[in-house]
Amino acid sequence: MTVHLYLSLIPEALIASMLEPEEFGNYYAVGTKKKTSGQAIFFEVNPEFESSYFRIKEAVSRCVPHEDGSPKASIYISIYRVLEHVPMSALGKLYLVTQDGRTLGLDASAEIPLMDEGLHLYKEIAPVSPLVASRLNPMEFFDLIVKNPSSLLTLPAIAFAELRLDQLAEDPMMGRVGDLPYANIDHLREVLKDLKTKHIATKMVDRTSPVSFAYRTVKNGFYIGNETGLNFYPMPSSNELREMNYHWWRSANM
Amino acid sequence: MNDIWLIISIVASFISVGVALYLFFWVKKQDPGSEKAQEVASWIREGAKAYLKRLYIALTIVAVILGFIIAVVFSFDWSEVASGQVDITPINGISMAIAFIVGSLCSAVAGYMGMEIAVEANVRTATAAKESLNKAFTLSFYAGSVMGLAMVGLAVFGMSIIYIITEDANIVLGFSFGASALALLAKAGGGIYTKTADIAADLVGKVEVGIPEDDPRNPAVVADNVGDNVGDVAGMGADIFDSYVASVVAVMLLAASSSDLGANYVVIPLILCTLGILASLIGIQFVKVGKNGKPGSALNFGTIITTVIFSAMVVLFVLLSKVNLGIIWTTLTGLIIGVIIGFTSDYFTSENYKPVLETAKVSESGAAINIITGFSYGLVSIVPSVIGIAVATLLSYYLAQSSGLSGIYGIGISAVGMLSISGMIVSADAYGPIVDNARGIAEMAGMDMSVIETADKLDAAGNTAKAITKGFSISAAALTVLALFAAYAEVVSASGVEVSMSLRSPIVVAGVFLGAMTPPLFSALTMLSVTKNAFEMIEEIRRQFREEPGILAGTVKPDYQTCVSLAAHGALSSLILPAFLAVGLPLLVGFVLGPNALGGFLGGAIFTGVIFALFMANSGGLWDNAKKYIETGKFGGTGSDAHKASVVGDTVGDPFKDTAGPSLNTLITVMSLVSSLFAPIIAAFHIF
Repeated sequence: MTVHLYLSLIPEALIASMLEPEEFGNYYAVGTKKKTSGQAIFFEVNPEFESSYFRIKEAVSRCVPHEDGSPKASIYISIYRVLEHVPMSALGKLYLVTQDGRTLGLDASAEIPLMDEGLHLYKEIAPVSPLVASRLNPMEFFDLIVKNPSSLLTLPAIAFAELRLDQLAEDPMMGRVGDLPYANIDHLREVLKDLKTKHIATKMVDRTSPVSFAYRTVKNGFYIGNETGLNFYPMPSSNELREMNYHWWRSANM
Repeated sequence: MNDIWLIISIVASFISVGVALYLFFWVKKQDPGSEKAQEVASWIREGAKAYLKRLYIALTIVAVILGFIIAVVFSFDWSEVASGQVDITPINGISMAIAFIVGSLCSAVAGYMGMEIAVEANVRTATAAKESLNKAFTLSFYAGSVMGLAMVGLAVFGMSIIYIITEDANIVLGFSFGASALALLAKAGGGIYTKTADIAADLVGKVEVGIPEDDPRNPAVVADNVGDNVGDVAGMGADIFDSYVASVVAVMLLAASSSDLGANYVVIPLILCTLGILASLIGIQFVKVGKNGKPGSALNFGTIITTVIFSAMVVLFVLLSKVNLGIIWTTLTGLIIGVIIGFTSDYFTSENYKPVLETAKVSESGAAINIITGFSYGLVSIVPSVIGIAVATLLSYYLAQSSGLSGIYGIGISAVGMLSISGMIVSADAYGPIVDNARGIAEMAGMDMSVIETADKLDAAGNTAKAITKGFSISAAALTVLALFAAYAEVVSASGVEVSMSLRSPIVVAGVFLGAMTPPLFSALTMLSVTKNAFEMIEEIRRQFREEPGILAGTVKPDYQTCVSLAAHGALSSLILPAFLAVGLPLLVGFVLGPNALGGFLGGAIFTGVIFALFMANSGGLWDNAKKYIETGKFGGTGSDAHKASVVGDTVGDPFKDTAGPSLNTLITVMSLVSSLFAPIIAAFHIF
């Protein structure tokens, strides 16, 4: 059996596993014996990836089938400061797992999409998970946080998704909320209004934002980056998802 | 004239049952689809049959016991008991008992046929949806028609044959009581079953674990789909069968006890039902959708065309047979107001109108505001129906009187007019759970997205038909029980007791209060049964997920059967107290407080029963559709705070609309029938 390496974002961890990505997603979300369930997001990492920071070889050597022949589901290699130590070139597909264990694989895009005007809402996924509104587009936001920090707030790596604001992006006070499921919309409007009227680049919307979030709120896709670069994983539209993976689409309430 | 029409009635009932049987076999001949789809359908079919088997065993025991009591009690002529003379008339007791059992049997057969075809048609509808919406719609509607046509055919056959043999409307009352007793247990039991499974499946599956509706990993998913059949097909069918028969019997009793009306007027309700059967048979042919047609419009068109054809037939019948013209006016009054009331229910439960839209909007402020708003609109929804019932009552009373008929006879004819097109109404109603099941099967069997999309379109039409039928059946039951109430008074008077139901009499007022208390208490008992049984099933679902993680991983099949058994056992064991309320309480009031108090009791029960039934059916539908509206992406869509609030409202409304609300009209019918049936004995024996 092949040993896979997975970089999990919820929680941030590097894991060796004998399970294929879809099986791992299911296992990671709903467990086998631990009786848990919950959203998971992870990347497949090139199995040839080596690093002096991680004890990968030791983990792989321990990743052997159980006595009954069933595959070893997980060996945790590291659960802290993982993101900053994995080069972007080692990352393969991104897998989005629903609360009930349906897994969707997304490929990285060679290009980052053209940035539109208006305000932005970013859901940071790892290493911290606040909800942040910003005047900066995703590239600029990544630069500000990781590459060229101009404030005291900086991170060595970041994984985040831009969430939809729809009409609120242009008109925070009067724009229609539509199907945006965010809690405390009035507060969000105030934050967006401040970004429009005051000279600030970013503002916290929710510092205790839950780690998991609704996939249907993702605007363009997922961004992950560190010193080695920035990868972008575009999110297909709801209709495309319905066509390509109906069960995932349904479980994700797209 | 009577003999010819009674023969025509029997012929029409044979045609109706014959067409139902033809459609039954036609549906069964259709492609049942893939192995996987058939496997899923078989889980539902087996669950439904297991429940029906248990239900019918319980009902057989009840029917035999009650039949025996009826046979004994009615073998004595109690009318001269005051003078110390009691004649023994065993033939009367045996006839009444046989009529009671035949009534139960006919209702059971109609329900069984409906269920049997529904659990065959669901998978065939899903398979037909692969080809076209048109084919799937036709198949599911024809399957629904099996229930509609079998129901009216068996009802008319049973009543006609009993009247031909006995020529006694009182014996037909036994038939009606048999049908109602079964209907109460079938409707309340089905309602408890379906909501137990629905709530438990949603609360654990959707809310706790996060799996979607109809997901085969949910251990309660089969019980949920079985519940759609036992609640909405067998239950609703038995309910309308009961109202249908009771309305006819009430008018027959009124005509038989009136010295002004001849024997012709005893059989007129049967004639109207016969015409209704013929109109429904024709109307069903018009229910078609084109390539891009709308199923909802097709169902509504069928109802309207049946109404028009039936009206024309009634006019022709009255003019040709030269019976009183008042029959036309009162029939049309009931018919038109019945259809209008049915459609007003749609206003309060459709997402196209203000009540649902506003309830959805205020959900942004939380569950409490959602519930207050839905509750309030549910109360407002009573208004048009109650006004409709009041208008129908007054119009039919005075139109009948001005035509030289008894006013109360006119009210009864009005109720018969409303229910005479039940063949069509029930066909449209039974279509709903079939397409709902078809969608579930498509989902569980992993059919193509296009099949699910087609099933969604069919399902939306089914929900509207269901709302219309509920409004229609409650209103019809209200008029029916008014006629039964009058029939009760006639029977008491005929027993030599002076009827005085003045509200200045404390004993009558006591009766009114006790009667008014009964529907709320009945509602509480049935809803508490739902919560108790759902609690047990929730524990079972959690246990399965806990002890076998492979279920959620999709590698192990859940134990569906345990949930099906829990729902069935819970539903049937919960019926004892509600059944006592329906049958025992009127007798208790009658024997203790006397016939006048019992009259007050019926009056109180009728008024709160109708109010509660309308309120619960409409508010439950309103909450349900407010949630569905949010799920289309409004006010934050699925997962938003508004959605979470609307889910709470919907869960509160579930037992309102599918358990307590629809059972109340059967409750008041049963209480009225029990009272009329035992009125001569109560008139002879009472403490006060």
